[in-house]
Amino acid sequence: MNLTEVVERISHKIESKGKSADKKKIEAKLKRLVEEFGVHITEAERTVLNEMAKEYSISSLGPRSAELKEIGTLVPGEWVTVEGKVVSLSSPPTPAIAQAGIIADTSGAIRFVVWARAGAPPLDQGLWYHFDSAVVDEYKGAPKLNIHSGTTITRMEQDAPLIPAVVKIAELGPGVGSTRAKMIQEWEPAHPRMLQTGLLGDESGTIKFTIWEENGKEKLTLNTVYSIYYAQVDEFNGRLSLNLTGAISVPEDIDLQVRSGEMISGAMVHIALGSGLVKRCPVNGCNRVLSRQNYCPVHEIQNTFRYDLRIKGVIDDGTKTHNVLIPREPVEALSGLILDKAVEIAENNPLGMDEVFFRIRDLLLGRYYTCRGSEMEDRILVKECSKRIYDPKDLATLLNRAGEVV
Amino acid sequence: MNGQGSLPRQGGGFEREPARRVFAQELRESRLHFRETMEEKSPGFILLPTGVRANRVFIVGTLTEKERRGDQNLFYHARIADPTGTFFIMAGSYQPDAMQQIARIEPPAFVAVVGKPNVYESPSGAVLISVRAESITSVDAETRNLWILDTARSTLDRLDTLGKDEDSRKALEHYHTDPSLYRTMVYNALAQLKL
Repeated sequence: MNLTEVVERISHKIESKGKSADKKKIEAKLKRLVEEFGVHITEAERTVLNEMAKEYSISSLGPRSAELKEIGTLVPGEWVTVEGKVVSLSSPPTPAIAQAGIIADTSGAIRFVVWARAGAPPLDQGLWYHFDSAVVDEYKGAPKLNIHSGTTITRMEQDAPLIPAVVKIAELGPGVGSTRAKMIQEWEPAHPRMLQTGLLGDESGTIKFTIWEENGKEKLTLNTVYSIYYAQVDEFNGRLSLNLTGAISVPEDIDLQVRSGEMISGAMVHIALGSGLVKRCPVNGCNRVLSRQNYCPVHEIQNTFRYDLRIKGVIDDGTKTHNVLIPREPVEALSGLILDKAVEIAENNPLGMDEVFFRIRDLLLGRYYTCRGSEMEDRILVKECSKRIYDPKDLATLLNRAGEVV
Repeated sequence: MNGQGSLPRQGGGFEREPARRVFAQELRESRLHFRETMEEKSPGFILLPTGVRANRVFIVGTLTEKERRGDQNLFYHARIADPTGTFFIMAGSYQPDAMQQIARIEPPAFVAVVGKPNVYESPSGAVLISVRAESITSVDAETRNLWILDTARSTLDRLDTLGKDEDSRKALEHYHTDPSLYRTMVYNALAQLKL
């Protein structure tokens, strides 16, 4: 590609809009970028074209009209032309965005936004459109299609059947995904506009989900299996979650075996205060831990508490830490200290409940454990836990690894 | 100590720094230390020669010696041996739990320590790495053996990715890390265990 060719192309585009193009000026601008600043010629073409478009107040010049691409193959940084069906619309998060949602073709699906400044007529859910010169960028780790003022939208008279690829939870990646899963936990919404949040699971694992308040949006029912089409898969701090606000969730009359929870293995590096023997509020359904003076944050002084054992700790594998909450049964199994015995110690020792805390801490801190449990917010609620066992096979493997170049 | 609720919140963006597994020989050779930002509360790190930053370490070894020093400012010094060398441990009145735990353990004993490594430079230029203990508990021989495996694996993992991220490139530049030296160290440490 040489400069003259590019100059011709740019001036041709400007002339096609009924303006006269100053070729000398275009060439000078290009030369400056390419020769003086070492900008790649295609990028220079784009820049100059945009500059000229602004200068002549032409809105839809755009770069060379992009070739038609399959949605499943889009990567950030491209100008593309795609054809797809609007499978979901969600309410735009800011006034700068006119519409947001998901469009799909047979190869896949992608999130899109129509910027308010594009001035485009509104898209209808369920219809097919041809988008000429849209831009793909990255949002929260996944590709997103931007419909801007340079994009030409044409309604298409087709309705090819679309069958989204349903994958296992463990196979979901950032972007848009479809899966079949059972709702296994409901959590307290963390935001007033949040309709529902909780955990979905299948044979391959579990994933957090959120549904935001929106007209006609319904909650999922606990312990029901759903086919979920076109859910938004978000990534935050390396973990995935599903936003079902714009997704289609169809209840299914089947059951699923859910792989229960996370498995973590590492050293117990911290046991927090509040571990060991605790007193719980006796009011029906409350169960909160009481202060030393038997004060419940909700039900005030409760002198007929019941005792319980628990550990709030941190298990650390050397690269990541996990907050764990271990309830009575696994605490008893790991420490060998049963609840009745712990109560007896507390009632007959000058240090009281602290004595139980110290004993449990000294028994568990600094040891290696493997625990299985379910993740709740930032904490793993442990169901079972065992001490890690020394296996000479590991030693053999590591000796081989270390000896490779020794 | 009160009965509940004193756990510093670990959600909400604050992520606890992992405790790195490192043999005494490697820790002793560490020099480079830095803070993430200039703020006072910003965590301090040392850069290990195998290329990872450590704000905290997890050590299991043999407590061979302990000594109580100071009178106004009481603190304990302890030495903990692993197959490659010796860790220097400190616990002062700012670590009352660790201090009282050390007081109750009689050497020699297998112990597990969670703590923060610090680099000290004496006026003569000698450098000492010591670990300020957050906790120290006496453990069994199996835990010590598991730690050697764990630390060997972590060290080999770090050597495998040496030069592949920013911290480990910085380590290569600063320490001129020779991977074969550390592989030999790992091999010798493992060789002390029974197959």
